Amino acid sequence: MDVNMTYATQDMWTWWLAIYLYFGGLGAATLAVTFLTDMYLKPNRALVIWGAGAGVVLLALGSLMLFGHLLDKTAVLTILNPMAMLDQSTAWIAWGTQFIIWMMVWGVLYALPYVRETEFPRKVPGIRDLIDKPFVIGTAKLVQSFHRSVGWLAVINGVGVAVYTGLLLQSFPAVALWHNPAVPLLFTVSAFSTAMAFLLVLMYTLLHDQADEHVRVLYERIDLVLIAAELVILFSLYQYLKNGSESGVRSMELLWNDYGWLIGFIGFGLIVPFLLELKGVMRGWASRVPILTAAVLVLAGGYLLRHYFMYAGVYAYPW
Amino acid sequence: MTHYAMVIDLNTCVGCNACMAACAMENQTPVWDKNKWRTYVHDKEIGLGSDVQRRFFPRLCNHCDNPPCMTVCPTGATQKKANGIVFVDQDLCMGCGACAMACPYHARVPVTRRDMREGREFYGSDYRRSSPSMDKCSFCDHLVEQGRKPACVETCVGSSRMFGDLDDPNDPVAQMVASGAARALMPHIGTRPNVYYIDDIRWRG
Repeated sequence: MDVNMTYATQDMWTWWLAIYLYFGGLGAATLAVTFLTDMYLKPNRALVIWGAGAGVVLLALGSLMLFGHLLDKTAVLTILNPMAMLDQSTAWIAWGTQFIIWMMVWGVLYALPYVRETEFPRKVPGIRDLIDKPFVIGTAKLVQSFHRSVGWLAVINGVGVAVYTGLLLQSFPAVALWHNPAVPLLFTVSAFSTAMAFLLVLMYTLLHDQADEHVRVLYERIDLVLIAAELVILFSLYQYLKNGSESGVRSMELLWNDYGWLIGFIGFGLIVPFLLELKGVMRGWASRVPILTAAVLVLAGGYLLRHYFMYAGVYAYPW
Repeated sequence: MTHYAMVIDLNTCVGCNACMAACAMENQTPVWDKNKWRTYVHDKEIGLGSDVQRRFFPRLCNHCDNPPCMTVCPTGATQKKANGIVFVDQDLCMGCGACAMACPYHARVPVTRRDMREGREFYGSDYRRSSPSMDKCSFCDHLVEQGRKPACVETCVGSSRMFGDLDDPNDPVAQMVASGAARALMPHIGTRPNVYYIDDIRWRG
């Protein structure tokens, strides 16, 4: 019966889903890293506002990608209900939606006291009126009393979002490229790596404060370790794919014969930034350009990973 | 307890596509897009040189006992009845497509608002669908509830498609499955499907 297999990729979830996964992982990990930095390393108002802002904006944009492609947009109300997570406990989209919503809620709450102390929002008419409302002032004071608890709630949901992006793909059993334990790990590591890169770009450009030098160095070191971990996971994934099911072998051939994956993602998205950051950590750079370059490459590589993953999943049909 | 299953004998499928037509008319599927039929008969030429055979391979939802499309469905629109039939609650489905990504049998298809507009023109005032959703074969559960068989089975001229109850030891379908003559597709994926195939022996040796 299965002597005449047909192998096919899918066109149901394409680049827009890759953007959803990319923005989801990047935004959530950025929020989690900035909040943890603020709580345990160095209180940093600007970083928290940027982290929460990036988290909310990127997650909103990513979610819009998915929402825009729903067949019946009104039915989305079902999964906005937190009970959907329990009713459909095996469906990662149900979990992911709740993680996204609550990450945004706790993220905005955590940043609220900082936003009220910051000058810029007061220049924006709508926001100025809003943050001076008694209800918002009271909320900010309440959050201040439980600042770390609120921060942890945001971080937990943020990590949940980052892990969810991989678990979602992993839950599709027909495709060997997706249905393996390396995928959630790879996507989580990539999410945090791109978050480090995003924050490095931010801290070397818009938030360039000499007092944050040790934070930048720490981010560079963490990113270096994360890129190394990503390379190890990819190597393991390659070993898994090359001798296994035909679906896996064909995905491996699609990916490793494509210059966009091989040179674009692995070469310029991982190895080049790894070497640039390694030199920075070992001997330092005289200029910020190499680290900025590395960070931009990591950010581009993060998207390429998800883009190619979506297009290279191979289904094996017995007809 | 009833446990519905289908056996498809590839030896007697003549590729007339009557099953596709019967299914489409019974369930008002988007016939204008061949990628959106609930059941589809693949027509393939197999062999080399003058030794070429045509093979017809009907496919449909396998109504798995461990359906990945149901596992990943975030709204609970994909459900399974006690009798084994997997169906979609159209009103609950938001059409995210996760079920299509999860299905190893290519059995989930999107029916869009555009398809509904075409459907109203094609099927006229009898058109029943009220909202877009991911669609799938339901084993014609509305007919089965009346004691009939799915439209594709009722119309199959070669009696290639057989429908029965796996829990009834006197049912020929149950007997064919129990004997090993009828086998499931890709059982290694762990979906525990309920559509079985009898291999065509014409070009086996």
